[in-house]
Amino acid sequence: MIEVHRLVKRYGKLLAVNEISFEARAGEVLALLGPNGAGKSTTIKCLTGLIRPSSGNIRLAGSDVVSDAVAAKAKLGYVPDRPYLYPKLTGRELLRFLARLRGVEDGESLAQEWFVFFGLDGFANELIEGYSHGMRQKLTFIAALLHDPEVLVIDEPMVGLDPRAARQVKDLMAGYARKGRTVLLTTHSMDVAETVADRVILLNRGQIAAEGTMEELRLQIGHSQADLESIFLQMTAEQLPAAS
Amino acid sequence: MTVFLFRLTAFKNSVIRAPILYSVGLVFLALVYWGILFLTRRGVRFLDQFPAIGTIADAVAQRSLEALFLLLMLGVAFSVLTTAITTLYSSEDLSFLLSLPASGLEVFSLKVVETYLSAAFLPALFTLPVLIGLGLEKGAPLIYYPIGIAAVLALYAIPVAIGSLLALILIRISPAGRVKEIATAVSVLFAAALIFGLRVLRPERLSALSPGEFELLLQRFARFEIGWSPPSWASEVVWSALAGRVPNAAVVLAGVSLILLLLVARLAALAYREGWIRSLDSRPFRFDSAVRRPAFWETPFYAFGRSGSIMVKDNRLLFRDPTQWSQLLVLVALAGVYLVSTSSFEVDIQRFKDAVGTMNLMFLGFLLAGVGVRTAYPIVSLEGEGFWMLRTGPIASSQIVAAKFLNALPVMLLLGGGLGLAAAELLDLSPTLALASPIAGFSAATVITAIGVGLGAAYPRFDATNPAEIPLSPGGLLYMTLSLVYAALMTIMLAYPAWQAIERPDYLFWMHREGMLLLLLLVVVTVLATALPLFFGSYRLARYEPGAS
Repeated sequence: MIEVHRLVKRYGKLLAVNEISFEARAGEVLALLGPNGAGKSTTIKCLTGLIRPSSGNIRLAGSDVVSDAVAAKAKLGYVPDRPYLYPKLTGRELLRFLARLRGVEDGESLAQEWFVFFGLDGFANELIEGYSHGMRQKLTFIAALLHDPEVLVIDEPMVGLDPRAARQVKDLMAGYARKGRTVLLTTHSMDVAETVADRVILLNRGQIAAEGTMEELRLQIGHSQADLESIFLQMTAEQLPAAS
Repeated sequence: MTVFLFRLTAFKNSVIRAPILYSVGLVFLALVYWGILFLTRRGVRFLDQFPAIGTIADAVAQRSLEALFLLLMLGVAFSVLTTAITTLYSSEDLSFLLSLPASGLEVFSLKVVETYLSAAFLPALFTLPVLIGLGLEKGAPLIYYPIGIAAVLALYAIPVAIGSLLALILIRISPAGRVKEIATAVSVLFAAALIFGLRVLRPERLSALSPGEFELLLQRFARFEIGWSPPSWASEVVWSALAGRVPNAAVVLAGVSLILLLLVARLAALAYREGWIRSLDSRPFRFDSAVRRPAFWETPFYAFGRSGSIMVKDNRLLFRDPTQWSQLLVLVALAGVYLVSTSSFEVDIQRFKDAVGTMNLMFLGFLLAGVGVRTAYPIVSLEGEGFWMLRTGPIASSQIVAAKFLNALPVMLLLGGGLGLAAAELLDLSPTLALASPIAGFSAATVITAIGVGLGAAYPRFDATNPAEIPLSPGGLLYMTLSLVYAALMTIMLAYPAWQAIERPDYLFWMHREGMLLLLLLVVVTVLATALPLFFGSYRLARYEPGAS
């Protein structure tokens, strides 16, 4: 569902992502992890079409994000880490706008169902400028899911969410993958990644440092009881001298 | 002091990071300075050399300076409203500054200085060449210059303080979440009224006065003192400094400014501590689970597909966001200025009317360029940080640009066509030019809108906080240049029918083959000049990367 082939992204002289390739299959939750500056956000931005790759290809459900951008984006749902939404629209107006933009037939009733799911139904007619960070994050999730995308990309899913909503989102990501969709998430929360992800990709300095299921990663470091945090610390620490 | 140095370092860093931008700005500033200096010196020389005015020349110059001070003071007072609310009470760094080991008074003093720089820096900057020109022309001693500059700086501190106090009152009494809207509306209404009011005075009537009448007018003006007010203090200080003296008014001016600024800093700190700023917060929610259906006016827009949904969204935002709808008030004021100017021509001979009508075609283009810089050019950048929703949506950049163009076009067409028709009627043009006038209006409106939207898409500024600051960029300058070039090109294209109208008043140019050919050429040029910037904008927007432009 997500195919990344020899992706390179440069910002002037800075090489942010250095020829990475990976796949995320249908029905899978893939976590993209790494320390600050590892290239996670750049990869996500390339995947979602926010920036163009310097070289390499990215395909979402078979459509290339550069040469067939409109088709690729029709299959994409995206939750950014900073949920900036038009503050002078109400939640309902925003979803109506996005439903029309994405050609969702029954957008109004679907939006209402999601409002109820996230407990926002009483606030749907209020301007977004009055929403708390958590409410905006929930609304961003609804906006990403409204058109039932084949690929869901989530950047830091838990920021600003209360425990109940955080639990809802975790269940939602796992449940969404079970429907045969692909979920790619980046997070600094190792707990979330370990709980939800089927596979993990560890990025460091723009390159893939490790990739696999939890068991495969444990094997790589030779510690059968290690949690993701330990694996992360060991893998990224090992990479540092080699890269410098 | 540390806090001030901290800000100074931030400014130095921004200069280092964008040396070209600041260099271009410096060159532009130098040109403007030279222009103001030149005009001031010519003005003072004219007064000194005007026959039979010798004894009152200084009084006239001093009153003129007072009038300039008063005008700029009023401008500062009302523009400072929104600035003060943003800088003093809702700036993002306020919490950080208050967490530093500095007193509340020190932090808010910095904020007052920031407010002063934001609201009064430009007026002060452009008053200085007037003072320098006056000093050079009057052969002032060196001491005049620092005293004059200090007087101007102190003078503009007064409206900053008064505006900030007014902002404080608005914050105290405004309904929650509405203070910025009210402040913006008050500011823009005042600015629009000021533009229109100044034009209604019709200064061109001065040219119709005989030398005797003009002299009488100057004598009356010389006696007309604003009275015991800051502008008269400042002009008194400036005038005394010309002779190398420092009058008592200087102490009064400096004292009042300083006391008012300190008062603002103290009251702002108090307002923050006492929680008066709660009206900046959003309104409390009303629990409302009703499923609201789309409004009736949305339906026609949806015929445009995905572009239509952007248009619906943009129209909602336009009328809800005061920083956007307030631009329409400026548009109305500019249209009023145009109509007043056009109706002020009192010419009896048809040939002259047509000659004025021809020049008016270019003026109409200039006006549309001025309106477009506030309506068409910022329209893509107004997506702001919400642009990610369009960028990650299944919509091509060409559809985004088309939506923005279609949304900006009706107002511009209404203005261009309407003013073109009104000018033909007001100037009583001959039939050929009466038709050329609205044609020029429609063509210029379409092309200038396309240039605005296209270049606005090619050089977006999604990080701008206000539509007014979006065109302050190389893209904005390019827009103004190309719009003015098109206005000139259109006038040149219509020069031949205009000449025909002047030479052969009964010849209805447009009904003949040459007229129809020219009309066709105009249509082709309009279509091309519309399509090109839109394509360019779409191309660049598709390749836009945050921070790369």
